[in-house]
Amino acid sequence: MLAYIEKIKEISRRLLQEGNVDMVIGFRRGTVPMMNEPCFVKTPEDVDNLVWDSNCGINLANYLTNRQEKIGIVAKGCDSRNIVTHIIENKIKRDQLVIIGVPCKGMIDRHKIQAMFETEIEHVTELDDKITIKGVGFEKTLEKKDVLQDNCALCIHRNPVIHDELVGDLVDEQKNIDRYKDIRNIETLSPEEKWRYFDNLLSACIRCYACRNACPLCYCPTCFVDESRPQWVGKSIDPIDIRTFHFLRAYHCAGRCTDCGSCERACPMGIKVRLFTKKLEKDCLELFDWEAGMTLEKRPPLDTYRPDDPDDFIK
Amino acid sequence: MGIEPGRLHFSWISSAESTKFVDVVNDVTAGVKALGPNKTFLKTEAKVA
Amino acid sequence: MMKVIIINKEEWTKGLERLYDSFRLFGPVKQDEFHNFRQLTKGELPDLKLLNTRLSAKSMVYPQSEKMFEFTLDENRDEHHILKEIRKDYSPQAVIGIRPCDARAFLLVKANFDTPENKDPYWIKSYESNTFIGYACNTPCPTCFCTTAGCGPFHEQGLDLLFVDAGDHYLLKILTQKGENLIIAAGWSSKEHSDDARQEMETLRRAAEEKITARISTDKLKDKKTTELFEALFWEEVAFACINCGTCTYVCPTCWCFDIQDETLGLSGIRMRNWDSCMYPLFTVHGSGHNPRSTKMQRVRQRFMHKLKYYVDKYGDGIQCVGCGRCIRHCPVNIDIRKVCDLMNNFEA
Repeated sequence: MLAYIEKIKEISRRLLQEGNVDMVIGFRRGTVPMMNEPCFVKTPEDVDNLVWDSNCGINLANYLTNRQEKIGIVAKGCDSRNIVTHIIENKIKRDQLVIIGVPCKGMIDRHKIQAMFETEIEHVTELDDKITIKGVGFEKTLEKKDVLQDNCALCIHRNPVIHDELVGDLVDEQKNIDRYKDIRNIETLSPEEKWRYFDNLLSACIRCYACRNACPLCYCPTCFVDESRPQWVGKSIDPIDIRTFHFLRAYHCAGRCTDCGSCERACPMGIKVRLFTKKLEKDCLELFDWEAGMTLEKRPPLDTYRPDDPDDFIK
Repeated sequence: MGIEPGRLHFSWISSAESTKFVDVVNDVTAGVKALGPNKTFLKTEAKVA
Repeated sequence: MMKVIIINKEEWTKGLERLYDSFRLFGPVKQDEFHNFRQLTKGELPDLKLLNTRLSAKSMVYPQSEKMFEFTLDENRDEHHILKEIRKDYSPQAVIGIRPCDARAFLLVKANFDTPENKDPYWIKSYESNTFIGYACNTPCPTCFCTTAGCGPFHEQGLDLLFVDAGDHYLLKILTQKGENLIIAAGWSSKEHSDDARQEMETLRRAAEEKITARISTDKLKDKKTTELFEALFWEEVAFACINCGTCTYVCPTCWCFDIQDETLGLSGIRMRNWDSCMYPLFTVHGSGHNPRSTKMQRVRQRFMHKLKYYVDKYGDGIQCVGCGRCIRHCPVNIDIRKVCDLMNNFEA
């Protein structure tokens, strides 16, 4: 990690000094354990603020939407795929960007780790693949692989798919990963069981929209739930309105979601919102052999037509 | 999401296929009637405090 | 002087069970990985093995979504198009295990809902139906900064009773007549108060306060020029990471903003209010489509200026924050009010 940080600083400093970019978007050290804060750096002197560790789970592509500057951006595998998606969807231009690729071994799950302890965690340190957690009256060392965010544990694209700089050697991609076990389980439920399952899943939702706003795909100038003329969805915490929001949001991400996990990481209520987007990801993979954000050369399945598109559902 | 499969239909009908249109509409209505009223994905009055 | 009584844990449980007859009881309950307040069913006990609830106790008085009126659009009926108030249950309710920060927060919020000029009947009636049984914090979190935010782990303002876990027994301090009445309903004897109990509680209070290391400075906020603070250059940097979700405002015990909505189904409808958030563009958008707070930076600035400057100036009662630390713990991108408060307090134009 330290080597990564030095390299990120070195590259960023060079880019800013040479005037290749107006700003670098990365992370700075957070004020609480397991949190880093997305930030921008505009001068070579400020480059020392940049950090990298296993607490950089927020997807930085979210900060690129419609920006006009020339930007250096620190990007792990999923971020890079969302940058590709942003470019394809005309939210940023490729030539505005210098992508500082970070081969990634996964981010740790702050919710999961906090839930293991009864008092608030005070310090978290990281060395190689070990995470040491300290708080009042406890100290425990965990294997990083045991406390990864769910999406990172299942990740098969840890290396940036697009980059101009690299901060380290590419890492081995995880092989033989069963990405969709949970989704298959839900698929086997009867309609009534599914209804109850999702009722339960969403019962804690407070409609803060952290999932939507942490998502790089959710850049609509006005989200359908915020439309007031006409108003499509009620604004209270009525369960039908909450369900409508989550399902529609997921559909809007079909064929675009990279399973970066920002939504789940952001949720203050610990709701497994990825279950929605992953179902659509699975369908896109099975029906169209498509994984989002892997290449600038192909259009996504939902904005192209092929005569051999599957159409079994049409009668 | 928990809606019975028979409640949602997709069809591709050309403007020239009037008989197919009639058949599909009849099938869909019969199918939905057989299922009875939708009881789940239905908002009556907001369930709030 | 207020009485401090000792209640052994067995008596405590029996007393709570007696309360179901005269109160609707609310308390922290663990759901999945965190606690929240909800009504306890008869015989159910509050789960007191908690640091604090995920959401504040705000919704005990001021629910996230609340019906206000009902109406009919059926012109065959005499009362058509007339808003009729919805009957609500304002019978006595008791909140067991509310933390002192959340209780003090109600007093800050009162400045908005209950003033000589304006009275919000929903908030006031609900507030007054409550008896608050505060649960003093022996183990404050590293993100708690209540002692420098006008509050504290054993703070008493806004509470009717304050209890603390003292190992094999609870110490209970009676703060108001409402509190006294609840003691009677619970069948706890208030005769057995003692100076020893008071001393023991004092010792625990001091120990808890010493554990709070996070601090903010607010002393200079009042003297800052609003316009200069408004135009400070640090807002762009503060706001950069913000994703404009409503987490901070919804978990906050002192955020009070709401939006009123009518919902109709056929010919009948209801008017309700829902928590709203200054983080959302829709919060300020005008009927014309113009939005005076159209950028993220403006919205972030509004939240902090409201809590740490406008409120300070308007009410003369300190900041609109009790230091519960929830916004710090749950912000998805680590925007930290302590840091922003220091920036504002130390700002020089």
